[in-house]
Amino acid sequence: MNDDEPPPASLTRRSFLRGGALVGLGATAAAKALPVPAESSEAEAELAEPRGRVRKGPQEITLSVNGEQRPVTVEPRTSLVNALRVHMQPPLTGTKLVCDGGNCGACTVMLDGEPAAACMVLALDAENAAITTVEGLGYPLVPTRLQQNFCDHDALMCGFCTSGFIVAISAELARNPKATDEQLAESCSGNLCRCGTYPQIMKAAISAVRGAR
Amino acid sequence: MAEELKWPEGNVGRVLGRALPRVDGPDKVSGRAQYGHDKRFSGMVYAAFLTSPVPSATFELDPAVAFEVAGVVDAILVADGAVLYLGEPIAAVAAETPEAAAEAVARLGRAVKLTERPWAVDREQALDKGNKAGLGRQGNVGRERTRKRGDVLAARNTEFPRIAVSLEETYTVPVQHHACLEPHGMVVEYDGRDFARIHGSIQGTFALLDGPPEVLGLPAANIEGNVQHMGGGFGSKFGIGVEGRVACELAKRLKRSVHLFMDRETEFHASGNRSGNHATLRADVAADGRLITLTSDSDKLGGLSGGSYAWHPYMYAPEHSMVSQRSVHTNTDGNRAFRAPGHPQASFSIESLLDEAAYAVGQDLVEMRKRNLPVGDDVDAREVDDHATWHRHLERVATEIGWYEHPNRSAPGSASWLPDRPVAVGIGFGLSVWGGGGYPGNQVEVSLDRYGNVTAKVGTQDIGTGARTLVAMVVAEELGRDVDEIAAQIGSTQLGMGNVSGGSTTTACLVPAVKDAAAGLKRALLAKAADELGVEASTLELRVGGDVGRKDGGVALDWTRACQLLGAAGLTAHGVWQADLQASGVHGAQAAKVEVDLLTGRVQVLEMVCMQDCGLVVNRLTAQSQVQGAMVQALSYALFEERLIDSDLGARLNPNLEAYKLATMQSMPEMKVIFDDEDQRGVIGLGEPPAIPGAAAIANAVHNACGVRIRDLPLTPDKVLMGLEALRS
Repeated sequence: MNDDEPPPASLTRRSFLRGGALVGLGATAAAKALPVPAESSEAEAELAEPRGRVRKGPQEITLSVNGEQRPVTVEPRTSLVNALRVHMQPPLTGTKLVCDGGNCGACTVMLDGEPAAACMVLALDAENAAITTVEGLGYPLVPTRLQQNFCDHDALMCGFCTSGFIVAISAELARNPKATDEQLAESCSGNLCRCGTYPQIMKAAISAVRGAR
Repeated sequence: MAEELKWPEGNVGRVLGRALPRVDGPDKVSGRAQYGHDKRFSGMVYAAFLTSPVPSATFELDPAVAFEVAGVVDAILVADGAVLYLGEPIAAVAAETPEAAAEAVARLGRAVKLTERPWAVDREQALDKGNKAGLGRQGNVGRERTRKRGDVLAARNTEFPRIAVSLEETYTVPVQHHACLEPHGMVVEYDGRDFARIHGSIQGTFALLDGPPEVLGLPAANIEGNVQHMGGGFGSKFGIGVEGRVACELAKRLKRSVHLFMDRETEFHASGNRSGNHATLRADVAADGRLITLTSDSDKLGGLSGGSYAWHPYMYAPEHSMVSQRSVHTNTDGNRAFRAPGHPQASFSIESLLDEAAYAVGQDLVEMRKRNLPVGDDVDAREVDDHATWHRHLERVATEIGWYEHPNRSAPGSASWLPDRPVAVGIGFGLSVWGGGGYPGNQVEVSLDRYGNVTAKVGTQDIGTGARTLVAMVVAEELGRDVDEIAAQIGSTQLGMGNVSGGSTTTACLVPAVKDAAAGLKRALLAKAADELGVEASTLELRVGGDVGRKDGGVALDWTRACQLLGAAGLTAHGVWQADLQASGVHGAQAAKVEVDLLTGRVQVLEMVCMQDCGLVVNRLTAQSQVQGAMVQALSYALFEERLIDSDLGARLNPNLEAYKLATMQSMPEMKVIFDDEDQRGVIGLGEPPAIPGAAAIANAVHNACGVRIRDLPLTPDKVLMGLEALRS
């Protein structure tokens, strides 16, 4: 971790970027994550005189992934999805890279419980977040209820979008266990599936809520 | 064959014909399933393409400038001094990280000197007499081909008294992208020695041996193609492509493993597409709705390739028809197969015309179709009555969607917005036809060891259809075991030959061969047991659970003891394709109900119903997913999808998933899939036919709702609004 971390402020550039990265994953999520500055003068002062150091070249950082502290060497330009999939040893490839532009939801992870497109988050900006990937949600032999429902309803075909849907809907279920059908649909409205499994995904998600009641 | 192989009576067995979850579901939902894109090897480098930003050019580029970027290990030219399509790969770089590779591509992009040549990117440019792109036989146009039945010109005179209405309309569809979520590409696992393993995102495992031996300079026996999971193909992933050749070349040069998957922008313009189409149809129609004549002239817009368009009059049978097709070429990547190649395009135009004709003569939309389906001599020699099947399917979907209670049966609804009528609801129909069926190729091995482990092996691939699950199901049914007791190994060229997945033939190629192998194993096991018991094998049978029973009653050897007889060698049986277990030729009908917002022009599909025959439904759950997925793709084609290229600049406008729209969860209607269980012809195929009629049905439903006929997909709100405005003024 880095010692000269700037003191927490109500609106750091880091948290601002993180909030911005959520755009495209549903307005609800973005609105929740965007910090509201307590006093605008403080925020303006910070923007006028940025604090913290400039970081160049390879950076050895530690990411908190699925409850484990995982060292990884990244560059400032490295996205979180590439940090997970490429640079971490061993890599975590359950999170998929599809559009690299925050348009498809395939790389959805949770940052402190909020869904985020990992292709739109810099790895350095995820340093202080608790990151949850699909690998942190269940195992093939010990799936979560939602994962089991995906299997039972055949809510996957080629499976390349599946991780993103599982994480996005799991995040919704975690904060809203009694989510309505509309809220469930909204939670994954930024996720694309080309095989066309949306109807089965909806059934799997609804069953997860009904099963939890 | 010792005995005739048969599918279960009534298409339902203990395992077959039932709805079972796919066996690799747990790996996929937990992120543990590894796709080619996920493969990582020691020393692996990441490669990327520089692509052409212009449709046609000569270029000069020293790829060595890429080495100015730290981490770059190789850079090569892919094109030979000239590119012929927008987005064509010019050069490739390999670097230690994907970030360095992307930076190197940008560096090459600044270094390349392009000299543009004449080009065309759309039909109007391609047909312009002054255009000098020179992509066809005459200008940019290929040879025209025609088909005739009867004599259209004579009939217009002789049948003149019967002609109630004549119409001529032009129908166009845009180029559609496959938009596979896993892009085209592969990982070549290689360290410079005499063996390579290629992990491809491809629709045919064995296609990974077509090209790489020559490029790598290794005998095919020293290369393994591997496809455990792949993230969608839809017809675009039959060969290794330029990405496969370049990945192998870089691996050979570097003696290192290479990861080369296209980025999204490259994927959109260099990995194939569904060709666009421009079709002009003319029909002379009798008062009872019968098509007396049909002419259809279409331009197939397949870029550098020929394009694809099913021949009109499609499944319909006008009394006289005259149909022509020609390819109009542009400097864009060639079209590839895409889920029922040519059929959705041809369906959109003919089904639209049929509806327009029906309203013009005042015929019911269902009756109109029935009246124009082939009868008597027009029916192809098939095992089923096409005419009766389509009639049955049409009537069922019409009933299910509520057609017979629908207010707009004789005329479309009004375009007028009223406070108590802000939206208009309409219904539309479309039919489909497809071949399917199998052919020889698959070599299946089923083995049993003395501990009771059953393994089925075949090199075929699972492109999302559930092929791996079907292998396990067929063996389980035959041996009386449960599906989770069968290990299905697929996706390797070190296993038996596997057919490619294309043309909705995978299941009909695969499943008969698996059954043949499993039946062989069963016979061999019963023979072993018979030896042990000193009886004729014909007196024994394999029961549910796998116990060997006597046909006259009682268990002779339980499963565990029977397996113990096998010793260390175990038992192995092989199977090949069996023509008698499959057939070809399927039919389908679909209905769509839409809601048109009369203020905004937005179309929401409320409901889609599909009835489909496909022979034996091996797994009802995965089969339903296939059909629904096809309907979703058709909905997406109808409402959202369109490749956009600026025709003045020749520039890509929407090579990303932000501006190229796909259907999402928010656009889903209620869906109903009905399988035609009267079909007892064996396994046929299912992937493609349900992708055909949905777009036409939705466009027809929009017309039925509010009178707006849109003859140009996609059905975007601007077109609906302009149509409403025209009707109101």
